[in-house]
Amino acid sequence: MRKVIYHPKYKEYDLGPQHPFSPVRVKMVLELLDSLGIPFNPVQPELISADRLKEIHEPDYVDIVEAVSNGEAAKDIGQYGLGTGDNPVVRGMAEGARWQCAGSLLGAQLLINGQAESVLQMGGGFHHARRGLAAGFCLYNDLALAVKTMTDHGWHVAYLDLDVHHGDGVQEIYYTSDKVMTISLHESGEYIFPGTGWLHELGQGMGRSLKLNLPLEPYTEGDSYLESLRKITEPALAWFRPNALVVQAGADAHFSDPLADIMLTTQNYQKIFSYIFSLVEKYCYNRVLITLGGGYSFFATARIWTLLYLMQQRYEIPAELPGSWLNRWRKIIGTDAGNNFHDREKAYRKIPRKGDIERVNQAMAIRLLDAVAGDWL
Amino acid sequence: MLIREVMHPDPITIAPDVSLSKAYSLMNRENIRHLPVLESGKLVGIVTDRDLRLATSKLAEHPFDPQVEIREVMSHPVRTTHSNDPVEMATQIMRELKIGCLPVVDETVLVGIVTNADLLDAMLRLTGVHLPSGRLDIGMPDRPGELARLTKIIADRNINIHSILTYSEAGKRMRMVLRVNTMEIHALAKDICEAGFEILWPPHIICVK
Ligand SMILES: [Zn+2]
Repeated sequence: MRKVIYHPKYKEYDLGPQHPFSPVRVKMVLELLDSLGIPFNPVQPELISADRLKEIHEPDYVDIVEAVSNGEAAKDIGQYGLGTGDNPVVRGMAEGARWQCAGSLLGAQLLINGQAESVLQMGGGFHHARRGLAAGFCLYNDLALAVKTMTDHGWHVAYLDLDVHHGDGVQEIYYTSDKVMTISLHESGEYIFPGTGWLHELGQGMGRSLKLNLPLEPYTEGDSYLESLRKITEPALAWFRPNALVVQAGADAHFSDPLADIMLTTQNYQKIFSYIFSLVEKYCYNRVLITLGGGYSFFATARIWTLLYLMQQRYEIPAELPGSWLNRWRKIIGTDAGNNFHDREKAYRKIPRKGDIERVNQAMAIRLLDAVAGDWL
Repeated sequence: MLIREVMHPDPITIAPDVSLSKAYSLMNRENIRHLPVLESGKLVGIVTDRDLRLATSKLAEHPFDPQVEIREVMSHPVRTTHSNDPVEMATQIMRELKIGCLPVVDETVLVGIVTNADLLDAMLRLTGVHLPSGRLDIGMPDRPGELARLTKIIADRNINIHSILTYSEAGKRMRMVLRVNTMEIHALAKDICEAGFEILWPPHIICVK
């Protein structure tokens, strides 16, 4: 059974008209599906209480987030990462975040109850939220909550983070856990946020060699990305054999994304998604929960997540975008998008350091496998 | 940053009449490399795992018996630091004397110990690397007001600064390593660049002037 989760209240997680993490992105996806005549029949979650979040976050952090979200004055919010350009204080943001967490939680429950094997949650993916710190547009870590629901059920869970930024929040929360493997492929933190996700971050104590990070060179292209993904995920999942896979499917590794420098095309994303579905079948008892995440080039993000929906629900990928949808969004966003569903051929300029980049990435994957080899017996 | 913020308080110590062999097993058990030697509450020496191994090595001309007392091989007098000293001063002393730790003595009382590992930790804290952040390497003219101009750009974007490290590049210009709490490092770099500062890393942020 393949299910989709969504609630219109997700839109309430809105950090302002200028903020990159915009509900417009999912709106574009839903309208595109509608224009394509593709059905969208999601299961709706029920709102969860703030106390539920205290299972993974520090209680005082949750209290502060809820208080400022209700318009109450609180001091020292800076130490909780709040009140910054990335994480501004906005009325109602906590409830919006809880709606999205509820969706990821429901996804985990559907898998546990056997009501679904494959769940696509059309929201969530707040991988930067730490135990006691808002960061990188994220307040509450829905992924960690979903994972906890599964581990409480006795499952081993693998978490795969495709977002272009390191999945530091999920990694932090499960750094010492032997029940959770985290794998993050991301642009190396030499200058982009959050600056972590280095190869030597392998987990601690019982969690040792279960936290895998593959920092990729800026300007890494699709082939090298896919090669790296294959080199790491297949042996990792074949060894760990999780009861389920949780995937954060951020779309900000697209070449047009303004926040980062990885050069994936929509065609690459299609290959990545189908590869992940094959891994799920082979090594993860056919259970997967996929969330959204980052993605700040609106046209690209909308197409990538629509692609994900179509693949998960096993619909055909259309060749062209509906004109009505294109015209409407071109007017709103201003930037141009091609008429085709996929990116055009040779969509970006040639990358001068291509060969070097590929070699660095290959060496990195080998070093990572060498680093864990002693523990993966 | 002061020594008392980075030191280990209440260090494990040893008396001068304890045998080398016992001192060695104490180090192994506690997983430490340095033992201050205390006699009637006063610091009289320090002994390291290296001192013990060198003193008892078969390769030594006259190896010590493992049963001799610590006082025979300990170093003294001991160079110390004060808990209110700045960390950079302790670092300078350790580099100058090529030693790996400094006992922290306030007046006559041993209150802590600081090792080179603690100073590396201090450096990590100074860089702000433990907080989620983006990072830029910036070059600027070495004159008053430049830093203020730069931080205003950051403040105008409502971005929190996790750390600023500056150093002079051989009289040429000031270099700065900046860690800031923002996902939008490219946009910030462009603003900084347009204000006339040099972005030295990442190298590909193209300045639009
Ligand atoms: Zn991201």
